[in-house]
Amino acid sequence: MWTEKYRPHSLIDIVDQEQIVNRLKSFVKAQNVPHCIFAGPPGTGKTTAALCLARDLYGPSYRDYVMELNASDERGINVVRETVKTFARTKFIGEVSFKVLILDEADNMTGDAQQALRRTMERYTETARFILIANYSGKIIEPIQSRCAPFRFTYLPREHAVNWIKRITDNEGLTIKDDGLEAILEISGGDLRRVTNILQTAASIGQPIDEETVYSVVGRANPADVQEMLLTALSGDFVEARKKLRDMLLKYGLAGTDIIGQIHSETFRLSIPDKWKVKLAEVIGEADFRLLQGSNEEIQLSALLAKLVEAGAEIKRG
Amino acid sequence: MFVPWTIKYKPKTLAEVVGNQIAKDKILKWVHEWDRKPPKKRALFIYGSPGIGKTVVAEVLANDLGMELVQSNASNYRTAEAVQKFAGTASHYSTLFGKKRLILFDELDGITGTADRGGLRVITDIVKTTGSPIILTANNVYEPRFSTLREHCQLVEFKKLARTDIEAYLKKICSQEGVEAEADALRLVAERASGDLRSAVNDLQALAQGKKQLAYDDVSWLSTRDRKEAIFKVLSDIFYAGNVWDARRAVDAADIDPDMLLEWIYENVPHQVKDPKELAATMEMLASADMYRGRIRATQNWTLMRYFIDFMTAGVAISWNHRTSGWVPFRFPTRIMTMSHSKAQREMMTVIGLKIGKRCHISSNQAAKDVVPYLRIIFQTNETMKNGLSRWFDFDEDMVNYLSTKK
Repeated sequence: MWTEKYRPHSLIDIVDQEQIVNRLKSFVKAQNVPHCIFAGPPGTGKTTAALCLARDLYGPSYRDYVMELNASDERGINVVRETVKTFARTKFIGEVSFKVLILDEADNMTGDAQQALRRTMERYTETARFILIANYSGKIIEPIQSRCAPFRFTYLPREHAVNWIKRITDNEGLTIKDDGLEAILEISGGDLRRVTNILQTAASIGQPIDEETVYSVVGRANPADVQEMLLTALSGDFVEARKKLRDMLLKYGLAGTDIIGQIHSETFRLSIPDKWKVKLAEVIGEADFRLLQGSNEEIQLSALLAKLVEAGAEIKRG
Repeated sequence: MFVPWTIKYKPKTLAEVVGNQIAKDKILKWVHEWDRKPPKKRALFIYGSPGIGKTVVAEVLANDLGMELVQSNASNYRTAEAVQKFAGTASHYSTLFGKKRLILFDELDGITGTADRGGLRVITDIVKTTGSPIILTANNVYEPRFSTLREHCQLVEFKKLARTDIEAYLKKICSQEGVEAEADALRLVAERASGDLRSAVNDLQALAQGKKQLAYDDVSWLSTRDRKEAIFKVLSDIFYAGNVWDARRAVDAADIDPDMLLEWIYENVPHQVKDPKELAATMEMLASADMYRGRIRATQNWTLMRYFIDFMTAGVAISWNHRTSGWVPFRFPTRIMTMSHSKAQREMMTVIGLKIGKRCHISSNQAAKDVVPYLRIIFQTNETMKNGLSRWFDFDEDMVNYLSTKK
């Protein structure tokens, strides 16, 4: 997978996020790392920075000193109480006196788990440092935030993304047309993981990579199209919209919270009166909250679709 | 497109109409009397309980004899004026091309005293003088208001159908739908219908549509229908409840798992509630019910159960204005079927997601969302990349197949 093949291995290789990288380099130099929060949108290098930091710190056998956990897959309090604690408390003697625990998608941790984590971080600071990675630092509880050094990642500037694409195409011996490159940049909106996945998939279809290839890749990659589902509901066909939703959840295995995120951003792009956008935002927010509380994904989301049916009918009436 | 099986498998000829042989013979004899001159009784009054083929008989008769069927049912206005307009001329002249007419006044029980004022009187007048055969149907011919009309009609009773006849009919449908049904299952459905073929076919469709097999276990809950009130009855009591109390009580009367009941209601809401505003309101009630269910699960506080039930019963009942026009059959919750069918798929997705996540430093959810769609395209278009990536991710054969098949 090219996302891994071209993932930088050392802080030196990271071309962007200069200020952040400089600070991280200074940690390596001092052989000391505070607890950190890396926050920012997807595909901006948060995980890469954490892995590079670890590698620079410990050398090639860094895996022995680093534990990588993904909070989305292991989000409960038990993981913190058992896995994390066991890892954190064992001392080891070496040049660097602490281990690093990378907690990816930490904003998906339950409140309980975060509370438990807070004590663990404090108690085992001697032996373990935590790097929490999240899209929004706001979703991480205050007491943890106050114990961490915050790093704010931002979308890559355009020229860096262009360089990134050029680097891959040169190395893989691919030809890409200007319109193809533009299309990738536009669709991925600064998310390098997305850029790379689209590029690799386009390359698997054929060359040269042009606008058409890129759009066909993106079209095929999103068969479960949230926008289409919303439009179906707006047009009044609730049963069909519900079927599309069910396919997303059951056939394509998408998570309800992911779908709701997409619904949220798509809603603001719909050509409906602003009044309705705000009204719907309230309904979406409520559904989102209920999902976090453990409500049923399909029922909550289809109630949302029914609201869109209502919106569609009212708008038609004028 | 949903086609009710009651329509799809409606008989096309008189011979195909199940049961009631004596009645059918009587009708044939009567209609052939018309070949010479109008018989003494110019109308046939077919009566009997619902769902046994009264209307169908008139339809297939017209079809068999190449006549044009002119019909009016409870959905039409049947005031004196309307009836005159509809049947007055039709009863005296043949069609433009000399085709004979058969006039059908269906569902006469549905004639109301106020809205259809004078309708019955005009029908009686037409019956006395008609030049075309007329068939009337009703559930109960002995209602006082039919007394005059009755005198001018030949009465034909349609009896409830035998269980074995219904069973045979269901069997025929199953074989045409490609459903392999256990004999016990069909027997139960037939038995339960107590002579009403239409409801048996509706039940069968709700249970078996889209399935390859129908086992006794799939239908066994029907057997509780008579004792404890069936799910269809409960649904109807909830959707069409006159007040919140009735709706709420429908659940207490039934012996149904509330989770299962929610599935039934959830499936049927959009088919019953068509108005957009009401649909949104009804779905919101279900979402609230579901929210309480979530809270019960999270807190194990079972006293919250009553709110869960309030919202899905009383909440649904008051959220829409149940007009009685057109009965829509209730359906079997498809979500449960879909969930069990796609369970293997979802498990596969999770395993693949975890594998990808491990190598790409992301969660399985994120892998399903951000990586799998692209992998699918690659696996379906580029053999070399597919092989390389399969090795790199350490996918087994099943996973590779899963990603390589189009869907």
